[in-house]
Amino acid sequence: MAIIPSLPYTLESIAYASALGLLSMGLSLTFATTRVANFAHADFAMVGSVVMLFLIDRFYYLHHGWGVFLTGSIVGGIFGGITGLLTYLIVLKPLADKGTSSLGLMIATFGIDIILMNLLTLILDTAHGVHIPKLIGASVSSYEPILSLRGYRVFGYTIVLPIAAVLLTVIFHLFLTRTKFGIAMRATIENPDLASVLGVNVNLVYMVSWFFSGFLAGVAGALMAFAFKGVDPAVSALIIVSVFAGSIVGGLESVYWGLIGGFLVGLVEKLGMTIINSIYRQYFVLHLGAPNVSLLNYEKLLSLGLVVIVLLYAPQGLAGVDWGRLARRLGLKKPVEGGG
Amino acid sequence: MEWWIFSDAFLITLFSFITVSISLNLEAGYTGIPNFGKHLFVFVGAFAAQGVGVRIAALIYEKLQPQAAQEALAQLRSMVPGATWSSLVHAAADVDANRIVVNNYLRPFFVSHVAAEALLLVTLLLVTVGLALFFGLIASYAALRLREEYLAILLLSFAELMVLVVFYQSQSLNGGNQGLWAITFTKDPVRFALVGSGVLAVIAYFYADRLANSPMGRAMRAVRDDEVAAEVFGRDIASIRLKVILISSVLAGLAGFFFIQNAALSTSLTFNRVIWTFLPWAMIILGGMANNLGAVVGTVVFLLAKRLFEYYQVQIAHLFHLGSASIAATLLPNIFIGVVMILTLYFLPQGILPEGPSRTVNFEEILAETSSEAGEAGGEESK
Amino acid sequence: MPGEDIVRVEGLNAGYGRFHILFDIDLDVSRGEIFVIVGPNGSGKSTLLKTLFGLTKVYSGRILFEGHDITRMPPHARAKMGLAYLPQVGNVFSELSVAENLKMAGYTLDSSVLDEKIREVLEIFPFLKDKLNAKAKTLSGGQRQLLAMAMALIREPKIFMFDEPTAGLAPKAAQEVVDRILWLRRELGKTVILVEQNAKLALEIGDRAILLVSGRIAFKGKASELLSDKELGKRYLGLKG
Repeated sequence: MAIIPSLPYTLESIAYASALGLLSMGLSLTFATTRVANFAHADFAMVGSVVMLFLIDRFYYLHHGWGVFLTGSIVGGIFGGITGLLTYLIVLKPLADKGTSSLGLMIATFGIDIILMNLLTLILDTAHGVHIPKLIGASVSSYEPILSLRGYRVFGYTIVLPIAAVLLTVIFHLFLTRTKFGIAMRATIENPDLASVLGVNVNLVYMVSWFFSGFLAGVAGALMAFAFKGVDPAVSALIIVSVFAGSIVGGLESVYWGLIGGFLVGLVEKLGMTIINSIYRQYFVLHLGAPNVSLLNYEKLLSLGLVVIVLLYAPQGLAGVDWGRLARRLGLKKPVEGGG
Repeated sequence: MEWWIFSDAFLITLFSFITVSISLNLEAGYTGIPNFGKHLFVFVGAFAAQGVGVRIAALIYEKLQPQAAQEALAQLRSMVPGATWSSLVHAAADVDANRIVVNNYLRPFFVSHVAAEALLLVTLLLVTVGLALFFGLIASYAALRLREEYLAILLLSFAELMVLVVFYQSQSLNGGNQGLWAITFTKDPVRFALVGSGVLAVIAYFYADRLANSPMGRAMRAVRDDEVAAEVFGRDIASIRLKVILISSVLAGLAGFFFIQNAALSTSLTFNRVIWTFLPWAMIILGGMANNLGAVVGTVVFLLAKRLFEYYQVQIAHLFHLGSASIAATLLPNIFIGVVMILTLYFLPQGILPEGPSRTVNFEEILAETSSEAGEAGGEESK
Repeated sequence: MPGEDIVRVEGLNAGYGRFHILFDIDLDVSRGEIFVIVGPNGSGKSTLLKTLFGLTKVYSGRILFEGHDITRMPPHARAKMGLAYLPQVGNVFSELSVAENLKMAGYTLDSSVLDEKIREVLEIFPFLKDKLNAKAKTLSGGQRQLLAMAMALIREPKIFMFDEPTAGLAPKAAQEVVDRILWLRRELGKTVILVEQNAKLALEIGDRAILLVSGRIAFKGKASELLSDKELGKRYLGLKG
């Protein structure tokens, strides 16, 4: 057994990491703008998953074509975005306007998490006339294109997810740097008082950030539907742990670092644990008689470990690391003359 | 007991939740510690009665009844080939074997030997306390160092990973996804659970009430309201937070211990974030944060509502054209609880019973008096 | 003569929440003058400036701007009416580039108008031309003050309210900021309200001044008079006798 994971598994890991990157980016975005740690973020993704499931089920002509990814991402993203927007407009803004504390807002998102999770389960449980007999736990993986690459069967979503992540990041980056509203968004993140004095509608910025956050989650969820063995809204409980881990590793307040943090956490969970597991099985089980169990089930512990390390040694996350100083210290970069 | 919606199981649930809400209220309501991982601390008590309990009980049994232990092993080998006593003790074999060990061998022995049973009970209660302190120490390590959001995220993540991953995936710790039979006590374990959880709830209430109105309670509120001021006034924030987390963890663990006496076979998923973290939060918010009686009121209201959903599940399912009655019993109450909790935050932010004035000198008054002079001189910088 | 007053404050009591900081403030600022507010640390100077811009809680009294009562107006509405407030810190977006900061300053303007305005202020502050793509946080303290001034200029306010613009600056940079303040009045005829820790510097360029002590006005009159008042200067402003 080789320590290096196989090609399809590597691609699946990268796809998972891309999805986490999108999710952590959205989580960091709403935290940066509205200072709310959103415990319902993974449920926004599940909205996307359920939408994808319904699309496949209701419009079965989509089967077996790459179009399913595009349609599902867009529709799932829009549904996710609307969920995010409604969360902000119906629940968070009225509470914030009444002066609810940040703890109260966190609790409220916890409530939305519970409501959404149960509502989605209810929808799947009671959906009438569906072609997939029972939607909970239903597998959608047989409805996507499968490629043959160097003799491996490669699932279509593993190709599409990283592309979607890169594309969305580029679009988002252009939006933030090239449009007036995008600049206003960054300005609001840094100093909402000054931005509002200059005439920025801060509330609109918040609305857009919640929509966009939900949109990113919806796209990630729609495409991740193919990775789940079955779509089950309760999965959100595990996803949110990794999403938070990604955002905290990134720094929680930086959108770009959130993306990188999520990607990193995803890779560490999947590839890291595979490598650890191979080593464990080859050396500890075979030679040292350690218990013959698969460590793969414990992959999430790596993300928790990563979070603990980050919080202990770099509480501001990767965003707070002085990379220039680090590089100089490691001798990668020449020291700069004292800047004026 | 069985009358309308009031069954023994309901009362045990009610008493257990009263203890859990009161303990969460000590942390969140009085001290401002956002414990989003409460379910882990309740699970700790169940683990003491299940994973740890079976092991300790089996050890005692093997020591005192080596003959019978051999017989048990022989019988179980026919069921689980290659089973050893230790594999059964470690509960790694399978859940049926575990049931036979617990219910056919261990239980009858301990029920008929009062001294051994008392010894076992005391041991397992001590184990519960020990485990609760252990996990409480881990939580407080984070609580002393992290900002509110980070702490809430970390506690939830930690609890979810323990309950959903570690204790659920590992077959040997607590039976994994198969679950384990808990060690139960006395001839009538249900009554034992009822009395145990009831007594615990009463103790928890009066203890929390006394604590809240002591100088310690005042210090807790000071920590919650303004850490800087609390520090200025010479409060040791770290030790207050540590104490509160440890006390609350022990209370939650004991509640889990008595609760599991009635549930018998269960997996760690029984202690999920919806039921054992979110629901207690909803209870203390509805009842009124930092009000012990409020915690009790909130608990009663939500559990009655939840029980009514369960009791009339067939009718409700029929009314809303739901496919199965179990949806009405599980999904609808959860949605209901979430909606009520958010509405409470909006319309009744202080809860049904708002936080009353402390029966000791009010810290805020001292603060206001001493800082009004400082405010004039230093207000500009205070912004 | 009320027509001459651009800002008029009557019987103002204000503070933060429960902290009452300003007591019975009466003052008027004439169009085109440099009005200086000085006082010892914690006397309420900055609070007074914030109150004029609507960032504190007013308990009683009123604030008139060009004859309109603005006491209850939110800050952004005051900005629209022509008040510019330049706080000591946080007056520019440090994570945004200089060009983006200037764009934000004219957020409500049409893009053609905005481009024209940006060209104008770049002529006034030529050093910004080389820094357009640099993040504002890479600028020096003095440059940041000038950028904030440029941002305010884009919106063509009638009155500039500076909160300790020279605090923490090297003498040379401070002099440059002061020169710019004088220039605002001389070339553009703008009114300036200046809160300064460095009382000597401020009183030398000011027309009229008030001295705040513990949230009350202890002196009101010509800046030069206050500068030469040895008793007050020594007691509250640390001026050499």
